[in-house]
Amino acid sequence: MGAAGIGGGTVNLYSWLSQFFGDPDRRHGPDSIVHRVGEHLLFSGEALGWALLLAVPLGLLLGYTGKAAGLVTALSGAARALPTLGLVTLAVLLAGVGDTAVLVPLVALAAPVLLVAACEGVRSTDPDLRDAARGIGLTHRQVLWQVCIPWALPALLAGLRTAAVQVIATATVASYVGLGGLGSYVVGGLATRDFAQTIGGALLVVLLAVATQLLFALLIRYALPAGLRRARD
Amino acid sequence: MIRFDGAAKRHPDGTLAVEGLDLTVPAGRTTVLVGPSGCGKTTILRMVNRMVEPTAGRVLLDGTDVAQLDAAKLRRGIGYVIQQAGLFPHRRVIDNVATVPYLLGWDRKRARTRASELLELVGLPPETARRYPFQLSGGQQQRVGVARALAADPPLLLMDEPFSAVDPVVRSGLQDELLRLQAELNKTVLFVTHDIEEAVRLGDQIVVLREHGRIAQVADPATLLAAPADEQVAAFLGRDRGLRGLALRPAEGIVLLAANTPLDGWTLAVDQEGRPTGWQRSAETIRQVAVFRPGLDTLRTALDSAVLSPARVAVAVDHAGRVIGLAPRAAVLDALDAAGPDTAAGITATGVADGR
Ligand SMILES: Nc1ncnc2c1ncn2[C@@H]1O[C@H](COP(=O)(O)OP(=O)(O)OP(=O)(O)O)[C@@H](O)[C@H]1O
Ligand SMILES: [Mg+2]
Repeated sequence: MGAAGIGGGTVNLYSWLSQFFGDPDRRHGPDSIVHRVGEHLLFSGEALGWALLLAVPLGLLLGYTGKAAGLVTALSGAARALPTLGLVTLAVLLAGVGDTAVLVPLVALAAPVLLVAACEGVRSTDPDLRDAARGIGLTHRQVLWQVCIPWALPALLAGLRTAAVQVIATATVASYVGLGGLGSYVVGGLATRDFAQTIGGALLVVLLAVATQLLFALLIRYALPAGLRRARD
Repeated sequence: MIRFDGAAKRHPDGTLAVEGLDLTVPAGRTTVLVGPSGCGKTTILRMVNRMVEPTAGRVLLDGTDVAQLDAAKLRRGIGYVIQQAGLFPHRRVIDNVATVPYLLGWDRKRARTRASELLELVGLPPETARRYPFQLSGGQQQRVGVARALAADPPLLLMDEPFSAVDPVVRSGLQDELLRLQAELNKTVLFVTHDIEEAVRLGDQIVVLREHGRIAQVADPATLLAAPADEQVAAFLGRDRGLRGLALRPAEGIVLLAANTPLDGWTLAVDQEGRPTGWQRSAETIRQVAVFRPGLDTLRTALDSAVLSPARVAVAVDHAGRVIGLAPRAAVLDALDAAGPDTAAGITATGVADGR
């Protein structure tokens, strides 16, 4: 019994996980893993999409004109200080207002990261390169599109990766307002003291975040034009 | 033709970059701006393509005030080469060269064909086309910069210290290339440098500037070296401007001795084709032989060859490197006398004493 007692935690974790993954509900129906992951990704994607739409064009423009650079940096600092727990609380409070209100904290989480990435990425364009581009006859719009945005791509993708991982991890709160996603396992498990569900759900959130991280690493490694990837290695 | 008509630039912070320039840059020739750092060379150059807007006066391009032209369109019609090359890092070399044709709306195929021609023209091997700028040496990047400037065949080229970031050997190669191109293309070139050697080598007309873009002297290289307008210009040209001047005269009319003449016991050994392989005197051998090509090289090269030879003769070779004769130092100096007394005359005429 002694040996088994020492290994008890492991056995419990293993049995919880096998109980969680072995449940036929995980394979079919509204509570299946595929369905929950789908919900989770949809919701995260929606938040990221809004953040992209709001922050990136503004960031690119601010970065190109060099205006409000101080403001953007200050904003990034403030954004980093935003506590995730506070966001969760906010999400729960907002839940009364309506489902999509939960999007607000998620967008608020992602947007500053993207704003700073876009702004700094464009602003860091080699000034000689910008000057040469103007000098050979590109218009401002063409310099932005053909020179500064390609230059900013690595920074933008890195920002998008950070934002995506944060949103996916935090989107667990969506389930508080019945939007489903992997948070349902965690929240549901906590409510019914079903630790197998809670731990299984948490593991899935971690796995999804890691997969996203990997996907972006691959994207940054292989999808960028060679000149951008290696010129600054 | 470019005409600066009282063109001045005062920066918002009050700095007077160019006080008011009157200058004509003739078409089809190379005009070089030289002068100390900060004298306004770059500012003057950039007034032409409106990268700098004059705060007074005008810049006329073939009679039209550039201020009346659309800036981007104007620039697409003017080749622009800068010191840092400024290539797009995310585009392959071929697409970098084709940038202006793309902007002008050429179709991709025509633009790329044109770009390949230009890579060849500036002496880059075809495999360079698919590389990215970071995969090239500084000298190669500079060649790509020149090719990009020439891609849409503009009649005018602006070059701001294009070769100053590369080592002397590469620089000299790039200068040769530009001279060759210019002999072929006859562009109007406005070239900025602070290297007087480069100015003398490339310029048909040299404009020596002082602070605030004031003109100290405008002259062709030979006149400039022979007759600097004042002591300041003479000082700027440097102490060995007389020797530099030799580089502007062809090594012609030098009386040659037979190649096998022994001198001081030294004889010139040649291989089967008649190319020099070394100097020999009994057991001594000197393998390096400095040569000059009559009619192709300058008196400076001929004199250099004579100075370096243990037998105190310059070795004349033909275009294939075969020895055609030996020129004793005295013969080289005779050719210098025969080339005309303009050095001495020029200095006497303007009354400049430069202390030598
Ligand atoms: N944006 C600016 N604001 C204020 N002063 C400027 C600005 N740009 C240039 N200047 C000043 O104008 C003067 C001329 O500058 P310019 O760059 O034309 O000199 P240059 O002859 O090209 O020098 P260099 O040989 O070092 O390249 C300098 O005194 C410089 O400090
Ligand atoms: Mg300059």
